[in-house]
Amino acid sequence: MELWNHCENPYPFVPAEVLDQAESVRASLPNKYCDPKIAARLYDEVFDEYRLCDDLGIHIVTNEHHSGINNLWAASPVITGVVARITRNVRILSLGTLITVRPDPVRIAEEYATVDIISKGRLEIGFVKSGATEMVSGDANPMRIREREWEAIDLIEKALTTRDGPFSWEGKFFIHPHVNIWPRPYQEPRPEFWAATSDLPTCAELGRRGIVNTLLFGGYDRTRQAFDAYKAARREAGLPAPGEDRFSYMAFAYVGDTDEEALRIGQKIAWFLTVSIKSAPQMSKFQPGNVAPEMVPAAWRAGVSRRPRPANLDAEVLIKQGQMFAGNPDTVARQIKEFRKRVGGIHHIIMMTRQGLVTHAEAEKSFMLAARELLPQLQDLPPVDADETAWLARQREAAAAK
Amino acid sequence: MSSDRLRAGPLELEVLRRGARGGRLILLVHGVNPVSPTSPFLDLLAEHGEVVAPSHPGFGGSPLPEYFDTMYDLVHVWRDVLDALPDGVLMIGFSFGGWVAAEVAVGGHPKLDRLVLVDPVGLKLGGREERDIVHFFNTNPAELNRRAWHDPAKRPDGIYGLGWHACIDDTMPDEEMVALARNWDSLCLYAWRPHMYNPQLKHWLRRISVPSLVLWGAGDRIVTPEYGRRYAALIPGARFAVIDEAGHHPELEQPRALVDEVARFLGQPA
Repeated sequence: MELWNHCENPYPFVPAEVLDQAESVRASLPNKYCDPKIAARLYDEVFDEYRLCDDLGIHIVTNEHHSGINNLWAASPVITGVVARITRNVRILSLGTLITVRPDPVRIAEEYATVDIISKGRLEIGFVKSGATEMVSGDANPMRIREREWEAIDLIEKALTTRDGPFSWEGKFFIHPHVNIWPRPYQEPRPEFWAATSDLPTCAELGRRGIVNTLLFGGYDRTRQAFDAYKAARREAGLPAPGEDRFSYMAFAYVGDTDEEALRIGQKIAWFLTVSIKSAPQMSKFQPGNVAPEMVPAAWRAGVSRRPRPANLDAEVLIKQGQMFAGNPDTVARQIKEFRKRVGGIHHIIMMTRQGLVTHAEAEKSFMLAARELLPQLQDLPPVDADETAWLARQREAAAAK
Repeated sequence: MSSDRLRAGPLELEVLRRGARGGRLILLVHGVNPVSPTSPFLDLLAEHGEVVAPSHPGFGGSPLPEYFDTMYDLVHVWRDVLDALPDGVLMIGFSFGGWVAAEVAVGGHPKLDRLVLVDPVGLKLGGREERDIVHFFNTNPAELNRRAWHDPAKRPDGIYGLGWHACIDDTMPDEEMVALARNWDSLCLYAWRPHMYNPQLKHWLRRISVPSLVLWGAGDRIVTPEYGRRYAALIPGARFAVIDEAGHHPELEQPRALVDEVARFLGQPA
C-alpha cells in the first residue's frame, strides 16, 4: 500500500465569535480575517511537511477550495507546481482544480502538463465535481455539473494526449476551436487520472475508464458500495478486474507514539467537521442541483443540515465509522488492514493529518511515525478474500437492521 | 398538478385554464413557480377573458427536454405556445416570466396583441458594481422572503413566491416539495449566469410594438420600482404603474389592484 499526505492548509485563526456570527465560513467571510503574515507562515510549514514527506516516501496531495477558512490552496496547479519543484521523489496528486468552475479545460491541461514536466513525471491528476459554496465563489451554474465535469475531463484528456494538434473542440459546455498545448506532459501518454466520488453511477464510469476512484471519509459501507459499483461496471463491460491500485480512501489520520496521544491530537482534526464546513443554507442544502428533486424530501427532512452542526465529533466515533485512523503505528496498521478487508481491497490511503488545530510539529511527528513504523506493516499484504468482505458487509447490514 | 395539457411544438406543457372559452385570450407567463390554481387573482382575471397558464419546461408537470438550458430555448417554446392560441393574445409575464415575455415581445408574434410585465427581471441597468436584482440563489431564503413581500405574513396559504424555502416545513407533502425543488432547479438552469438578465435585452426593447403596461409592487425589494420605471421607459409607449402594499408578487399580495390595472389597460384603445 501507499500512503499519501493531504493537507488543505486550513486557517483556523479567525476569532470564534466571528465564526459563530458568520452565516457561512466559506465563500462569504471577508478576507480581512486572513492575516497574510500568518498565511505565509502556514505555507512555509506545509511546504516543509511536503519536503519531509518527500524524504520519507509519503506521496503528496494538493487540492483547492475558495474563499474560506478551510483551505488556503486557492489554485491547485500553482501549489502543485511549487511542490513539483521542492520535492524530488514522491508522486504528487492534484485533487484537484475545480474543473466545473473553471471556464477553460485547455488551460487546465496546459497547467498540468507544465507541472508534470517540472516534476519529471511525478504528477497525478485528480478530478472533483465540486459544488456548494464553490459554485457561489466561482459563479458556476450548479445545474448539470456532472455532465460538465465529464466534458471537461474528456477535453483535458484529449489536450494532454494529442501529439499532432491543433484540434478543435465544440462541445456542449466548452468551446475551444484551436487546442494545441505546449509543453506536452512528461508522462506518456498522460499522467494518471483520479476522481473523488461516492456517486455510484460515476464510480461505474470511473471503472469503465480505469480512473482511480477515491472516496473522502465515506466510511466502510459507502466505500465498499462505491468500489463494488466500479468493479461491476468493468465486469459488465468485459474489462479485466481492477487491481487494488485503482482504489483510494481519504481519512483523518494521526499516528502517535501511543493510542492516547493519537486520540488527543486526532481530536483536533475534527475542527474540519465542527467549524470549517459551516455554510449558508442557500449555498448548501437549498442550492439548486444539490440533490435530485425526488431525493429532496428525505434530504430536507432528515438531512444533516437540518440538525445542529456537530459540535463535538469524538475521535473514537470517527474511528469506529472508518473515517479516522488514529493510534500508535500498530493500532493504525490494524485499522487500515481492517478497512482494506471491509471495502474489498485498497492500495492508497490518503491521510488528512495537518487539519484543524493540529500543529506543524505534531504533523511532522505523525508523518515520521507513519513512514517508519506504519508503512512497512502495509507492504506485501495477502490478497483480500472477496467472500470475507461480503460476509463482513452482511454482518454490518444485519447489525444496522437491528 | 394539472393534468390539462397544451401542445407547444413537440412539447406537451402542463397548463392551467380559467374562464369561459372564446373570450380574449390572457396568457400568463409564470415566475419562480407555476401559477397556483388557488391564486385569487386567477378568477378575477377570468372575468376579463380566458386565462391560459402553461408551466415552463422543467416546472410543475411540464417536461424538460435534455437539450433545454437557456433563455433562447424558453423564448422559442413560448412562441410555440402563441402559435397554438387564437389571435389577440394578452401576455402577462411575472418576475422571471416577465423577462421571458419581454424577450418574446421583442421578437414579435402575430398572435401577440398586448403585453403586461409584472415586476419583470431580465435587464442589466445599473453599473458593473451595482446589483439590480437580489441574487435569487445566493441570498438566504429568510432574507429573500423578507424582501419579496410587502408583508410576508399575508402570503396566501399554500402559494409560494421567492423565499419559499423559508416558508416550508416538514409537514409539506413529498410531492409538493419535489415540485418546488424541481422548479428551483429549472429556474437555476436558465438564469444562474448572467443572473436573471440578458445583457443585450435593454438595447432591443425598442422592438416591442404592442401596447405595453409595466406594473410594479411598490415594496418590491428584490428589484426596485426605480428599475421598473427605467424598464418601462425602454419600451415604446409603455405605461408604468405602481401597486401599493405589494412586493415582488403583486398578483399574490394585491390581486384586486393588479387585475383592476390590467382591466383598465384592456379597456384602453390600442
